[in-house]
Amino acid sequence: MEIKPGKKRLNIRYAKFAIIIIFIVSVSGLLASGFRSNTSHEKAWVVEVNNKDSIASVDAFMKVYQVLKSPRCMNCHPAGDIPLQGDDSHLHTMSPIRGKDGKGVYAMKCSNCHQPTNSAGLNTPPGNPKWGLPPDDMKMIFEGKSPRELALQIMDYKRNGHKNKAQLLEHARDTLVKAGWNMGAGRKPPPLSYKEFVAAWDKWINNGGVAPK
Amino acid sequence: MEQSRSIPSRRSFLKSSLLAGGGLLISFTWFPGAGIADPSKMNDLPEQWNELNGYIKITPDNIIKILNPNPEFGQNVMTSLPMIIAEELEADWQQIVVEMGPHDNVKLGPQFTGGSNSVRMYWKPLREAGAAARQMLIEAAAQTWNVPVEEVTTKAGMLYHEKTGKSGTYGSFASKASGIPIPKNITLKKVKDFKVVRNSQKNVESLKIVSGKPLFGLDYKHEGMLIAMIQHPPAFGMKLKTFDAGEALKMPGIKDVFRQQLYEDGYEQAGFDTRTFNDLLVVVGNTTWEVMNARKKLKVTWDPIEDSKETIAARGGKKEVVIPGGLESTSTHLEKMQEYAKKPAQQLRRDGDPETAFKNAAQVIERTYNAPFLAHNCMEPMNFFAYVTDEKALVVGPLQAPGWTEPTLSKILQLPADKIEIQMTRMGGGFGRRAYAHYLIEAALISKKVKAPVKLIYTREDDMTYGIYRPMYTATYRAALDANKNLIAFHVKGGGIPEHAIHANRFPAGAVDNYLAEGWEIPSNITIGAFRAPRSNFNAAAEQSFLDELAEVMGKDPIDLRLELLKKAKENPVGQNNEYDADRYAGVLNLVKEKSGWNNTENKKYSRGVAAYFCHNSYAAHVVDIVMQNGRPYVERVFSAIDCGIVVNPDAATNMVEGAVVDGIGNSFYGKLSHKDGAAEQNNFNRYRMIRHSEVPKKIEVHFVQNDIDPTGLGEPPFPPVFGALANALYRGTNKRYYNQPYFDEFLKQAGKPENKRSF
Amino acid sequence: MIKLNINNKNYELDIDPDTPLLWVLRDTIGLVGTKYGCGVAQCGACVVHLNGEAVRSCVTKISRAAGQNVITIEGLSENNDHPLQKAWVELDVVQCGYCQAGQIMSAAVLLRENKNPTDKDIELAMEGNICRCGTYLRIKKAIHLAAEIQRNGS
Repeated sequence: MEIKPGKKRLNIRYAKFAIIIIFIVSVSGLLASGFRSNTSHEKAWVVEVNNKDSIASVDAFMKVYQVLKSPRCMNCHPAGDIPLQGDDSHLHTMSPIRGKDGKGVYAMKCSNCHQPTNSAGLNTPPGNPKWGLPPDDMKMIFEGKSPRELALQIMDYKRNGHKNKAQLLEHARDTLVKAGWNMGAGRKPPPLSYKEFVAAWDKWINNGGVAPK
Repeated sequence: MEQSRSIPSRRSFLKSSLLAGGGLLISFTWFPGAGIADPSKMNDLPEQWNELNGYIKITPDNIIKILNPNPEFGQNVMTSLPMIIAEELEADWQQIVVEMGPHDNVKLGPQFTGGSNSVRMYWKPLREAGAAARQMLIEAAAQTWNVPVEEVTTKAGMLYHEKTGKSGTYGSFASKASGIPIPKNITLKKVKDFKVVRNSQKNVESLKIVSGKPLFGLDYKHEGMLIAMIQHPPAFGMKLKTFDAGEALKMPGIKDVFRQQLYEDGYEQAGFDTRTFNDLLVVVGNTTWEVMNARKKLKVTWDPIEDSKETIAARGGKKEVVIPGGLESTSTHLEKMQEYAKKPAQQLRRDGDPETAFKNAAQVIERTYNAPFLAHNCMEPMNFFAYVTDEKALVVGPLQAPGWTEPTLSKILQLPADKIEIQMTRMGGGFGRRAYAHYLIEAALISKKVKAPVKLIYTREDDMTYGIYRPMYTATYRAALDANKNLIAFHVKGGGIPEHAIHANRFPAGAVDNYLAEGWEIPSNITIGAFRAPRSNFNAAAEQSFLDELAEVMGKDPIDLRLELLKKAKENPVGQNNEYDADRYAGVLNLVKEKSGWNNTENKKYSRGVAAYFCHNSYAAHVVDIVMQNGRPYVERVFSAIDCGIVVNPDAATNMVEGAVVDGIGNSFYGKLSHKDGAAEQNNFNRYRMIRHSEVPKKIEVHFVQNDIDPTGLGEPPFPPVFGALANALYRGTNKRYYNQPYFDEFLKQAGKPENKRSF
Repeated sequence: MIKLNINNKNYELDIDPDTPLLWVLRDTIGLVGTKYGCGVAQCGACVVHLNGEAVRSCVTKISRAAGQNVITIEGLSENNDHPLQKAWVELDVVQCGYCQAGQIMSAAVLLRENKNPTDKDIELAMEGNICRCGTYLRIKKAIHLAAEIQRNGS
């Protein structure tokens, strides 16, 4: 499944999108840039976008962004190595740390408390078999990221967990992502419904994965 | 009760063994000189054990069993009290077997764990018990060997007659000794000759604890035992109106759901009969999990309570207490406290002419300190086992004061005391909470109703949200200085919900010519009670912070200012009834000054705070060193100096001081129980922040003042001054004074961090 | 019927699969060394080993433990001689003692995965275990001592 990063290979794989964007589109105050990373990171893939698609893509991302920045997603994509907790995104009590694989360390592994399914009652740990943070070598931080930063990060093969387009699209269907809408009593779901989120995610990516300016 | 064997040496582990049959029991009354055992009664007792329920039993093979009289909640009396007996008995500590005694206030004394009193109140009686037994054994040996009593010596559980070369074990003379009359004159050892006491002995129950043996109330099992839980109202100020148990009763394992009144109308409460709610909704079933689930299916409606009166017969006579109706909130509590603080209050002590002194002062410093309700949060939630029939009652579980609970139970069950058996288990913490044994009474009434053995269990949420809390306190301190910055007057006006914290006769009373202490109280329907060093735990924060600020204004070193005041209190004391000994107070300050290197320049890298306090007859001073790390303060080191007289078990005492320091840091940094519309806003440890491993100082250095004074308290005294020392260290670390607890909330506020975000 | 292996002993129980392991241990099987402290995985008093991991039994449904190996404090060592148990006794760690089984069970996983833990490692591993009496400092020392006993094999 894993695809090695490399423009050439990606270009071949996604040939039909494969034109490097060399201009910045500006429409009615909205500045959007396509997969034009200003860093040296390699891109997940490159696509051609037109004006209309860019606007649609950015629009969709702004919806996606609300979900990604909601506690249900951001809490496990923290800026530090300790996850956040609760609707107010406070630092996780007992300060569990990420660990190499994102699954915690020693007696403080995520799955010691986070069960395969939600635990009953208020204030109990939400559950999922994959519960954890992104790994230490791929932290995929959401906390504190602007829409543009976050969009660029997600589109950056080197910073998105080495996901290509198909894998990115697939990620919205991941059971752990989906669990964000069912995290047990006392936890507010993300601002969009899961269905709306998937639609926005797909739209964002399929229309070029454009990052807001 | 199971026995615990003393743990002798490094990495050597003895299994506890049951006593073999045969042997002697020597029994002693609490009151020395009243005749320790009645030898005539010995004849009627079964040959093998002579069971009389005293402190000491000795088998023929020289195993010495000592009964610990006082409830164990972590202060380690299971070890330290038997040590006192073993010392005077001249027993070999390695051969001691320790067992928790039954509840028997006649034979085993007051049996009260609280007020840092265990060792203090048992010190003399237990020494006498040990010494008398030793004398009886000597007499028995002298008679047998036909030698003069004075020539028989003892050592490590053995009797010797040097001239004839005869020797024998205590065990071999135990039976005969039981027939010897109790000696009238008992000679106690000289302190300098102590061999067991003042030498660290290991906790006799360690091995059981680390191997998971059933020691605690929650671990107790009885054949046919059911589990009960109480559905309390959702908030203080509410009471049960109606309930529908239809669905709950259909849940698996559920036996009964019923309404149970705790105290009958007009019941006159004893001082420790405090309870949160009187009208209880009870669920009884087979297992804890089943009862927990059934509880969720209850359909209940609640009513607000109205103003009511309760009669409480406490020390100092009966009093009527008004319990106001209404749903109380922390925000309105704070507003009300500000309003009451301006009103005239009750005068508690007055020396000289404070009003004039303040009028004539060149400078007046005034500061106000606040602290929230605190929950005890014992790791083992409240629980009790009860098996009550029409004829008798057996109750087993964690409680601090069986002697105070028994009369209440007797009254409520209408059973005479001799039909009530109270067994005390090891407690998973107490901190004052388990002196209020309403949960025992509740368990007993539930058992009586369902006619079965029952264990009542509080969930953590029940325990935290329906507690007997440390009250909410405030105090305004004022100091008047003359033109030369001399302290000429001192004024403290304290208030609380529902009681104030002021100890009017404590330092600096006695050290200031013009002194005024006042108190006021706001009634509340939120229940409160003793919490590790009641009242002191607030005063030592407020007063010791204020003195620190005062020293700064006066241009003095904070330790020097205290020492100067104490010098005055000793040489030229002001007023009457000063509660403290100025010399011992100064002693701990001097010791902590020396041990902490108070004036050493290499310690300048720390932000240091000092505080000292007297309570429970002992003196404690701490120097707290903080460092700022990752943008937040951490306590790096603590130096403690304690004067509690003779230290019975030094390493265990050190452990207790270390624990008090950690508890003090935890509670002053994070402890807070707030209310909204009568409901506690913290109901479990996810919201009630407890100090954890990484937040503990790297080093806590404990020093005891060495003297031969009879032991005084230790469980509480080291706790209060931690609050003050930490506040003073925080000031030096952050350049801000800390007037409101919990300090960490205050720190976050001052650092401009949102309260609910732990950015650290 | 749920099949369990607890402290190397097999059990077969007819029990609601959602029942937390904690209450099965305490109420059904009678192993009460594992403590109830909070019921919401905050305090660590209920830590047991599930296939060697320090799970919190108060939120672990019995269905998760079915067919797996569970070790409780009662089964940590045959003769109560695990290096941690020795060190705890040697350094007189306990005050009330209620949290200590959980502390030891957490520490045991640390020592298995890290033979020579630093103070920082201990904090990372133990931060989930609350001790209300404040014996943390001694727990830390005891873990260091246990590591030493483990390394020296005595």
